[in-house]
Amino acid sequence: MAPVIQFKDVVKIYPLKSGDVTALDHISFEVDHGEFISIMGPSGSGKSTLLTMMGCLDTPTNGDIFISGLRTRDMSDTELTNLRRDRIGFIFQYFNLFPLLNIIENVSFPQMLKSQKQVDEKKTIEKLRAVQLDERLYTHTPLELSGGQQQRVAIARALINEPDILLCDEPTGNLDSKTGASIMDLMTDLHKNGSTIIVVTHDPHVAEYTERTIRIVDGRIAS
Amino acid sequence: MSGIFWEISKRNIRIHMLRSTLAMLGILIGVVAIASMGILGNSMSLSISSSLSSVGDSVIVTPYSGSGGMGPGGGGGGGSSSDLYLTDQNYQKIKRAVAPNVAIPVMQKSAHMKVGVGSDDIVASMYGLPQDDIKDLLKDLEAGDYPSGNSACLVGSTFAKDHNVKVGSRITIGKDGEYGTLRVSGIIKERGMSFDISTDSALVVTRDWFENAFGTTDDELNEVVVKVSDGDTADVKTTIEKQLNRNTKDKTVSVTDSKATLSSIYATFGTVTTFVTAIGGISMLVAGVSIFNIMMMSVNERIKEIGIMRSIGTQKKEVMSMFIYEAAIIGVTGSLIGGLLSFGGGYLVSAMMLGTTEYIFTLASLYYVVEGVSFGILICIVCAVYPAWQAANLSPIDALRHE
Repeated sequence: MAPVIQFKDVVKIYPLKSGDVTALDHISFEVDHGEFISIMGPSGSGKSTLLTMMGCLDTPTNGDIFISGLRTRDMSDTELTNLRRDRIGFIFQYFNLFPLLNIIENVSFPQMLKSQKQVDEKKTIEKLRAVQLDERLYTHTPLELSGGQQQRVAIARALINEPDILLCDEPTGNLDSKTGASIMDLMTDLHKNGSTIIVVTHDPHVAEYTERTIRIVDGRIAS
Repeated sequence: MSGIFWEISKRNIRIHMLRSTLAMLGILIGVVAIASMGILGNSMSLSISSSLSSVGDSVIVTPYSGSGGMGPGGGGGGGSSSDLYLTDQNYQKIKRAVAPNVAIPVMQKSAHMKVGVGSDDIVASMYGLPQDDIKDLLKDLEAGDYPSGNSACLVGSTFAKDHNVKVGSRITIGKDGEYGTLRVSGIIKERGMSFDISTDSALVVTRDWFENAFGTTDDELNEVVVKVSDGDTADVKTTIEKQLNRNTKDKTVSVTDSKATLSSIYATFGTVTTFVTAIGGISMLVAGVSIFNIMMMSVNERIKEIGIMRSIGTQKKEVMSMFIYEAAIIGVTGSLIGGLLSFGGGYLVSAMMLGTTEYIFTLASLYYVVEGVSFGILICIVCAVYPAWQAANLSPIDALRHE
């Protein structure tokens, strides 16, 4: 089976007036199905750039990225958007839920994008139960929930289209340690159920939950 | 799929209710301005149309009043048109040229008269027409019948109203009644402004009575009215000019094609209507700028949201649709309310400027309302296209990082 993610000699250069900045410098690695990986590195090391590349939000200057065997370089914006919708689930540090929509609608949103018709609300409720969110909160708006509850909703939203990969950008960075630990326990449960999870973090406690850690320094894989 | 973006657009309008209401108000004012001005122009046009009697099929021949006019008063040297006449020879030529159309010779004079006994002296126009042609020129009577003898006359509706004249009333002609007495056989239906003869405040008598009373001759015709039933008025006009104005330097007659004149009047009113509607359109453009402004604000406030949407798989066209829906909701709501209110606006403007509101609820008025509403919706959507396009084309990474 092809790796879920494959980076082949990926280079990303940001052209700036003050001179080019190399964010990723000949990066190559693979992520297999069912892996639970953390990406660590100091600030400005290139880990966020790596995450945006894996999430098909940006394209490399050189090299190739394969997501579920598909080379992203050849894809149009529409195809990349569909890839993000169908194969990738995003979890952000600041939850990034839609404040105008209630919890059910937030979780159903990617499903609506995919199905182009009415959503399967049973599936939405199933995902919300999987992230252990109190049912009384389903019709609330995100701003009425705590940080931990919002992150659970964000995880349910990321899972709704059964993606191949979960990309998490500092998922506990905006939570207290106890709530952060419960979120990481939830991630561990998802991993045990077969999800491929990649967590970008600078927190060694978070990295302890993962099976493998990729360390980035100055745009290169250090270990 | 559009359901969720439609829902987001609605909720965004709701949470920015004041801003959205003000934008709607701008569109509403624009629609009211356009539709009201259109209704006013249309009412003006209809008002004039109703004042003009059905003379679209007439060609009017009058003595040429420029240099070299002819006739007893104008022998060869200008003079005012009031003392210029067409001769019987001119009339015969016209009659032959326009056959089988009817050519009606018209004599006209102002005269003193009295209605009944002991009434005040009145001065009014009197028309003398051949008895057989009166029916051809004056098709509708309000009351009574056409004159059957020389001592009978028709009176205009305004004359009848102003002087309390009824069928059977007697009118004495002349300061001292020196021209005799006429019995009113009928009242002519209101004709309004007309190109041939203006009968509303006048009397119409038989030509025989006119000639006997005033001593006029066959060569003192004021005009000839050709009622065109066969062919086009423009062709009849050309034929008469060819026959009677052979010498281009010394013309005999002036020929007026009433249909062409009417068209020209309507075209002028059309231009006036377009002009006043365009003035209303300026307020719509201002409203459009306000829509553009609030849509740009909406995009700027929601950059992060757009970034999230794009990162989880929302297509550019779906992001665009969200902003277009928002503008469409504002446009449709503002325009429809404006459309309803514009009947009121048109009513007020027409009442103030024309003194009548009888032409408000016509199909043409409805057309201007539909035009205003459509323009309002269109301008809202057009003004939202660029902000929506800009939102859709934001870089997902930059949008996500936006604070």
